[in-house]
Amino acid sequence: MKEFNIVLAGVGGQGTILAAEILGVAAVKDGLNTRVSEIHGMAQRGGAVTSSVRIGENVASPTVLEGQADVLIGFEPLETLRNLKFVSERTFVIMSDERIPPTELAAKNIAYPSIEEILEKIRKFTESVIAVETERLAKEAGSILTRNIVLLGVLAASGKLPVKDESLIEALKELVPAKHVETNVKAFKLGYEYVKKKT
Amino acid sequence: MRISLQTREKITLPDPTMLLKNESGKQMLLLGNEAIVRGILEAGISMVTTYPGTPASEIGDTTSEIASKAGLYMEYSTNEMVAVEVAAGAANVGVRALTAMKHVGLNVAADALMTLAYIGVRGGYVIVTADDPECYSSQNEQDNRYYALLSSLPCMEPSEPQEAKDMIKTAVEISEKLELPVLLRTTTRVNHTRGPVTMGKVAKPSLQGTLVRDVKRMVMIPAHARLMHVKLLEKVEKAREISENSPYNTVTRKGKSQIGIVSSSSAYNYAVEAVELLKLDANILKLGMTNPLPEKLIGQFLKANKKVIIIEELEPFLEVQIKAIAKDLAPNIEIYGKTVKQYFPRKGELTTRLAAEGLAQITVQKLPLDFKRIDETYAEVAKELPSRPPILCAGCPHRASFFVIKRACGDKANYPTDIGCYALGIAPPLNVGDLLICMGSGVSTAQGMSRATGEPTIAIIGDSTFFHAALPGLVNAVYNNAKITLAVLDNSTTAMTGHQPHPGTGVTGMGNPSEKISIEKVAEGCGVKFVKSVNPFEIKEATAVLKEALQHNGPSVVILRSPCTLLTIRDRRRKGMTVKAFRITDKCTDCMTCIKLLGCPALTIENGKVHIDETLCTACGLCASVCPYKTIEGEEAST
Repeated sequence: MKEFNIVLAGVGGQGTILAAEILGVAAVKDGLNTRVSEIHGMAQRGGAVTSSVRIGENVASPTVLEGQADVLIGFEPLETLRNLKFVSERTFVIMSDERIPPTELAAKNIAYPSIEEILEKIRKFTESVIAVETERLAKEAGSILTRNIVLLGVLAASGKLPVKDESLIEALKELVPAKHVETNVKAFKLGYEYVKKKT
Repeated sequence: MRISLQTREKITLPDPTMLLKNESGKQMLLLGNEAIVRGILEAGISMVTTYPGTPASEIGDTTSEIASKAGLYMEYSTNEMVAVEVAAGAANVGVRALTAMKHVGLNVAADALMTLAYIGVRGGYVIVTADDPECYSSQNEQDNRYYALLSSLPCMEPSEPQEAKDMIKTAVEISEKLELPVLLRTTTRVNHTRGPVTMGKVAKPSLQGTLVRDVKRMVMIPAHARLMHVKLLEKVEKAREISENSPYNTVTRKGKSQIGIVSSSSAYNYAVEAVELLKLDANILKLGMTNPLPEKLIGQFLKANKKVIIIEELEPFLEVQIKAIAKDLAPNIEIYGKTVKQYFPRKGELTTRLAAEGLAQITVQKLPLDFKRIDETYAEVAKELPSRPPILCAGCPHRASFFVIKRACGDKANYPTDIGCYALGIAPPLNVGDLLICMGSGVSTAQGMSRATGEPTIAIIGDSTFFHAALPGLVNAVYNNAKITLAVLDNSTTAMTGHQPHPGTGVTGMGNPSEKISIEKVAEGCGVKFVKSVNPFEIKEATAVLKEALQHNGPSVVILRSPCTLLTIRDRRRKGMTVKAFRITDKCTDCMTCIKLLGCPALTIENGKVHIDETLCTACGLCASVCPYKTIEGEEAST
């Protein structure tokens, strides 16, 4: 493996940073070199946020080059579109269906585009895309806050990640508060099975 | 109800005490800032002072969580200058200390820094200055390596978390050897990058200093300063020797060509990856100690190459100096960078792409990736996307404050503002904020504006910023009788940077209780005759108080006090409290007044109707108060 690049995009507060951190800790558990990047501060407060995780021996910088993501995890449909610059034919796009309308839409009285319209735009970049019913699965797991873990489950099930599933679960157990471990493990499994059922 | 957004404010290790384990040789994934804290522990630093600021905040926050267990003292000082002075006091009686701040913090501390360089230190003293190329969370993107040049202090630049940790220890050693403070200059991509870090041994801190009187060295009156300046210049030459032999200044890649690249900090990572991308046969000199520069080492590198390319982020700090070295040591060499002809940008964040594009142009090669095509395809998608800038949270008391300020003072008043979440008040529909320079500038710029326009002028400031930088400005307003109103938006925390304590909060960085300093009493003590506080959610009362303040002949202070909604949500969650979101009733006329006036993210439009997102609504009740037809219902939640 030369390098494996994951871009995680969403809205401040959706848990992109924690998801990126779990991926990084899992990579270290598997003895892999990694760089995880995140932007704090101003970017939170409901703004657009992008984190990235790069895994591979020669990885030096924490950010992903345009068109060079192996996986784009979009935590929010419009944010998935905003990060298509990282996507090329080889990219696998995981898109959550959880819509968080930007205030600009309300102010200008514009409707949020449909998931189908959004998928169509993504398909101009790559055929490899899955829309995940994250809200439903996270609620089924016990809390909408596990949305990020549902998406990690989806990523693990894709079989593309160069990190062992067990390492991911171990990392998850270390990083989420003890009383929420069970809910989060359930969320991971629901995400995992969601893909397995679909394919 | 559930709150859908995570409010995990401290984006650091779930249990920071993990950093205290003396597991030498173990590898952990650490954030650059956490690695710096581990470096603090391994270097035996006993005092850490800071004022929070992105991207440096987690250095202080992580230290605060472990300080008492680790046996070291930490404080959130009122501002960066105080932080440097407190630490300089300790370092001058032989205690190892560190101060962390964001780049612009060093502007505040610069007065102390410049003369402390003459005096020096006895215990190792490191100042971490975290630069923010691309202004991700800052008002400018100044390159603080120039402070090293300006003050003649040694400067180290890590490129990733492991180096950040290791360099703290090295910086302390250099500091004690030269008896000088050492600057550790990081960038956002070092502070906020996680990478594998191998632990070293933890050293025991010792907060026991002794003053060894040496007035000539330590009391900078002119006669002493002249002598100490000479001493400082001697120390610079000793520092250069260290730089010549530093393992951090080294050729990391040897090729067969005569193309050389010099780089440092985050830019080094981009340089290496750009070389890989272009499959370029090049020699790379990595500089980790960038002040003073290793002239001999650089001279040798220049002589061994025909073309030398300097890849650095922001200013041509290395380039200009290397060109000067070349003039004496290798006059015929070709040097490329960002002066004369710009191969790399002098602004914003560098990337592997920008590094590769510059390198390709210099070495006349084609890029293996067709970035242009990607840009064009992406531009098609991007042009239709609604923007999503950071905004005030649903339930944020600042939204209520801006609403009442606008209601009381109108569109014609001037609103100089300040650094903090409330800078987001400039966004529509609130539109409050006319001039913003730096911490504490609002209260002073207001005085100039008010005198020059004769118009009502209301300066906006937060509670933490009030203590940090507003006091001299406020005293000035009183003494010179400026007709301004200072609106202190007191949310009882330092919200933007992650809820750190400040003198008004009642808790210290060590986690100990302390008597809160009252903003009212401070303002009265400064001589302000009109000082009132009010809850901004009490719209009528708050509007009346602000109107009264505007009528006051002389400076007035209105404190709009209500806690940060993120703290309220956290408290509710801890107590297991649930609140019910407000509801739009059938009587709603779709007049959209609530959306037009407030721009609250919990207010959305679905099928042409206003809708309250129950996962975001915190039941603050502001929308119900502004609805002209009283069609929004709910119970305001107590906190």
